[in-house]
Amino acid sequence: MSYFFQLLVSGIVVGSVYALAALGFVLIYKASRVINFAHGHFIAIGAFTAYALATSLGLSVWIAAALALAFTAIVGYFTERIFLKPLVGQPIISVIMVTIGLASVFGGLIHMTPYGSGNFSLPDFLPEGGVSFAGISVSYPQLLAVVFTGVFLAAFGWFFQRSTVGIAMRAVADDQMASMSLGVSVEKVFALAWAAAGVTAAAAGLIVGAISGLNLEGLVGIGLKVFPVVILGGLDSIPGAVVGGIIIGILENLAAGYLDAYIPGGGTGDVFPFLVLLLVLWFKPHGLFGTEEIERV
Amino acid sequence: MKNKWTLWALAAVLAMGFAAAEKVHIMWSGAITGPTSDAGKYYAQGIEDYCSWANDTGYVSGVEFVCETRDDQYNNANTLRNFEEAVDRGDPVFLGYSTGGTLQLKPLVQEVGVPFIPASYHIGNIDPPDNDYIFLPIASYSEQVIAVLEYIAKVSPGAKVAMAIHPSPFGRAPVEDAKKAAGELGIEIVEVQEMAKGLDYTATLKRFENKGVQYIVYQNVAGPVANMIKDAKRLGLKVKHAGAHYAGGPDLLRLAGDAAEGFLWVTAYYMPHEDNAAAKFVKELGAKYGRPADAIESVHYPSGMLAAAIAIEAIKEAGEAGKKISAESVYQALLKMNWPNKLAVGPVTYSKDDHVGVDQLRVLEAKNGTFLPVTEPFSSSLFRKVHYGK
Repeated sequence: MSYFFQLLVSGIVVGSVYALAALGFVLIYKASRVINFAHGHFIAIGAFTAYALATSLGLSVWIAAALALAFTAIVGYFTERIFLKPLVGQPIISVIMVTIGLASVFGGLIHMTPYGSGNFSLPDFLPEGGVSFAGISVSYPQLLAVVFTGVFLAAFGWFFQRSTVGIAMRAVADDQMASMSLGVSVEKVFALAWAAAGVTAAAAGLIVGAISGLNLEGLVGIGLKVFPVVILGGLDSIPGAVVGGIIIGILENLAAGYLDAYIPGGGTGDVFPFLVLLLVLWFKPHGLFGTEEIERV
Repeated sequence: MKNKWTLWALAAVLAMGFAAAEKVHIMWSGAITGPTSDAGKYYAQGIEDYCSWANDTGYVSGVEFVCETRDDQYNNANTLRNFEEAVDRGDPVFLGYSTGGTLQLKPLVQEVGVPFIPASYHIGNIDPPDNDYIFLPIASYSEQVIAVLEYIAKVSPGAKVAMAIHPSPFGRAPVEDAKKAAGELGIEIVEVQEMAKGLDYTATLKRFENKGVQYIVYQNVAGPVANMIKDAKRLGLKVKHAGAHYAGGPDLLRLAGDAAEGFLWVTAYYMPHEDNAAAKFVKELGAKYGRPADAIESVHYPSGMLAAAIAIEAIKEAGEAGKKISAESVYQALLKMNWPNKLAVGPVTYSKDDHVGVDQLRVLEAKNGTFLPVTEPFSSSLFRKVHYGK
């Protein structure tokens, strides 16, 4: 039984990282209906910025992380201002192509730094080992992933429920024209959504870096894992991103733990999220918590 | 007046010398960016620096090497384009990289007859068909894994072993030979798990633990291996870890820290901290050409050097035999090569039937943050039996 619980706990931990990564993706979609294919690169930018600041300037990882969150928020803000703003009102395919192009540009820019290839480890900033109870073990970086996800979920929950900007964001997501008529700056809301997405992406990058080291391919790959998460949870639902992330994480671990032994070579954990994605698209295309849009013709 | 004529004569001789210097192009196509670029970037630097050293020291009289390292981003289509360009230009030898790229190019390499030296040590590269022109710098992945299994069988008779491999032809390369060798050695391979780079390997490791696995043997790259051995340490597993050339090395120590203690690693290269001519040569070249410490310490740096060195040595031998430098003359030189090189634990020897350069390997163990040899250089006694049936 402890085997099952260990898989469950590990799944929750991994799922928390996916949830954190998915939060930014959902924020952008929720505010502006843009699917950001460069999200993995935002994760990488945040992680490598923290690494660069910590190793080159000798800053503590915590300070470097705070600065990296701010820097990635700025990158997100200006990305929207420079590349997305001119596309307001344009066909969705144009916007998608721009975010794919942005992924390519960011990838190229990262390759121009020393971090484009190779594996890197953040300097130690957490105690060695972790917490064990009843034969179940969780490392400190993994615990941090859960804490970060919880903190960000609470912060965004408060932000969207209580703050003026957050309420404005929800209003824009519901009806742009009505929001504008009430004096909400839709442009500002879009840019802030990208900045907030930058913060969560950087946080996800830092957690991935702490757990498994920094590698451009790996960090961008987390951006891909976001897709089944948001499809399951609902593209425009913040609680959906968290629930979806944790469900995908648990399914990955349970599949690897119980099915791999019967499949030559294993690897079911890597396939399972995408199988779930297909099933959800089949039966519940708006996800568990996504807004079901009814089109009347 | 006499001095003036002497100077003119000297200048004329030097000018003739320069005019006679033949430019020989050597191209490498590999991943400087993209998947596996953590290995590829240092491999490329090794090639560049060995070529520069050969030019700076006039290692091959009358020849100036023009070495190009092209980034193919681990994309076979790019590798093909680069290879075709090299062939069209008349390059006498080509340096390759990935398993997929090399396996895909085999028929073309055979057709054009240009010697091809890959960074992939997949035995399929030099197995029939279309295997005449491909030369492995060191022993194959199959031989590496069997060598480490031989060591495990010696220190832990009857051990239960799991293999954790990269989900690609590179990862799968040694599996069948390893299974046959395990049978001969009296050890049991209880599971073969393909593992991509992931955030958590708890499920796989706990399953291995439930099956009584004592050793995990990796045919993978250092990043995923580091994560898996860190997870094993976190879970408090007693399992030991071992791996082939690309799974270990100083990169693994940097990534995994204390969790790498006890890791058994098989390779044909010396370590930079060793007190021998090979380590001295690698460090000298790295310092001379301004490489950072992480490049010099990476095993991929001397690996790239050895590939370039084999190509340059073959060109040298072709020239010394009085032949025009061409793909055919370099091929003939490779077939006769018996070269006590500066970089690996054994000589580079090739023949018509043997396309493995350095046959010898060592098992090293991570102790106090350093890989230390636990065996003398040896050749696997079982590999030929299980792979060739002889």
